[in-house]
Amino acid sequence: MLNSRILAAPRVQALILLSPVLAVYVVFAIWPMIDVIILSFQKWNGLSDVREFVGFANYEHIFFRDAVYWVAFKNTVIWTVLSVIFPPAIGLLLALGLNEQLFGRGALRAVYYLPVIIAPIAVATMWRWMYDPFFGLFNQLLTDSGLQNLIRDWLGDRTIALYSVFVAHTWQSVGFSMVLFLAGLQSVDRSLIEAASIDGTNRWQSFRHVTLPALKPTLTIVLVLTTINSLKAFDIVYGMTQGGPAQSTQMLALWAFTQAMQIFDFGRGGAISVTLLIITLAIVVPYLRWTQREEDRP
Amino acid sequence: MSLTKATAPISDKRVPGRRYDPVLVALWIALVAIAAIWIAPFVFILFTSLKSNAEVMVSSAFALPTSVHWPNFEGAWRNGDFASTLLNSTIISFVKVPLGLLISAMAAYALARIQLRRRKALLLFILFGAMIPFQVMLAPLFTLVNQLGLIDTYVGIILPYLAFGAPYQVFILHGFFSAVPKELSEAALIDGASHFTIFRRIFLPISLPVLAALLILDFVNTWNEFAMALVILQDSSMWTLPLGLMSFQGQFSSDYGQMNAAIVMTVLPAIIIYLIFQRYFVSGLTAGAVKA
Repeated sequence: MLNSRILAAPRVQALILLSPVLAVYVVFAIWPMIDVIILSFQKWNGLSDVREFVGFANYEHIFFRDAVYWVAFKNTVIWTVLSVIFPPAIGLLLALGLNEQLFGRGALRAVYYLPVIIAPIAVATMWRWMYDPFFGLFNQLLTDSGLQNLIRDWLGDRTIALYSVFVAHTWQSVGFSMVLFLAGLQSVDRSLIEAASIDGTNRWQSFRHVTLPALKPTLTIVLVLTTINSLKAFDIVYGMTQGGPAQSTQMLALWAFTQAMQIFDFGRGGAISVTLLIITLAIVVPYLRWTQREEDRP
Repeated sequence: MSLTKATAPISDKRVPGRRYDPVLVALWIALVAIAAIWIAPFVFILFTSLKSNAEVMVSSAFALPTSVHWPNFEGAWRNGDFASTLLNSTIISFVKVPLGLLISAMAAYALARIQLRRRKALLLFILFGAMIPFQVMLAPLFTLVNQLGLIDTYVGIILPYLAFGAPYQVFILHGFFSAVPKELSEAALIDGASHFTIFRRIFLPISLPVLAALLILDFVNTWNEFAMALVILQDSSMWTLPLGLMSFQGQFSSDYGQMNAAIVMTVLPAIIIYLIFQRYFVSGLTAGAVKA
């Protein structure tokens, strides 16, 4: 029973409380991460009993003989850069606007946040229909407003497909940044802004010198989170284009999945995953160290 | 606590008779106009779902449906096997979400309130899991679950969900538990209560608002999860709603009415949950991210 002597030791109790999380976490999160690194040095089709060690052959292949890898790499970089700029910028503008005491502010916030809670796969399906070349929303609106020459096959044209997918992603993710900024704005000292306005500073000046410095920690968090989220872009691309047309929307996370789960080359898939993992760690580790420093500051 | 700060309603009341600031009026109009654009996709999907295929092809995008075409929903329900996907999503979410929150709270309590060596390192080790993308590990995850013989089972999908959901929740709850005054638990400890009792009798009750926020947030995330389900739930009888919708899109993409009815049915549960528990979303999301 709980009263027995061993259980009375705080360390034993701590171990019991910690063990369920540690067990699932180590087995189902940490081990697969280690295994993906092991896999990246092996040749394996996912079924046979032998996982043959091949050294750096998989890396050599993806770096020097797999043209798609570099397309996926370039697309992931473009996607990440766009994701770090547009959704947070729009989110910040909306947050600044909705931080004012406006009529119906709560309802407006709810509208902007609504896409965030929808499954990315459903967003993909919605936008695929809106991009439909014949009956979709965009081409219909263009026709209705006499702009027929702007009509495109939004997801079928390899020069614009990536950006079409990105627009859908922006629609979904702006609310996420907005909410974080709105929370960050609560820490801005209202009396400072009022004092500034009494002193005759205009809105831009008080934003620049009072609001923006106070938002700095939030800004860091938003940028790190959006970067990490954009590196793992998977659902929305899978749902909208599956990487096509002609690999023009291929991404690293999706290409790793395709190599392993569809081409059954777990080794190459693993190698692609490891490169993505290293990029992610290069962002996460400095961020974690930064948060630790912030916490330790008196 | 940052949590209460983020959710505290700031008075929306206007001072009567005050003159409207023209800048604010312009701002309001702009925000309403953008909100209209933001909500337009939903309107378009909903309208299409109520139109027959013939009407979709002739009527303009935002034309109200002339008559409500219910067969879209019946057809999509049947063809998309919604009875089965809805049940699977419900079972998985209803088991995973409370269970995950309970074990996360237990771990967070131990890390926050029990003296342990290396507890900071342990916390960092768990927090690390909130940052690494599981998308890079889909293949080894499949291999692992396959070796355990758990492909196409509820257990096989729930265990990885627990593993990837816990780090964020442990992190948030650790922050919350650490801020609880010492006196509250010390008196009980002196009286001979075990940590289990203190956790259950004191810490769980006082953290109900945070737990509610995390519960709602995690419910929506679990409900929407796609990538892991895609590799672990291979058999169509085990599919969740997102997998069902993806397959439906592949087969019936030219049946516009049914396609959109399927989208409506997939997103509706999440939207309803959101509209009911709106307040908790924001606090759950910002509790950890923004420290006052």
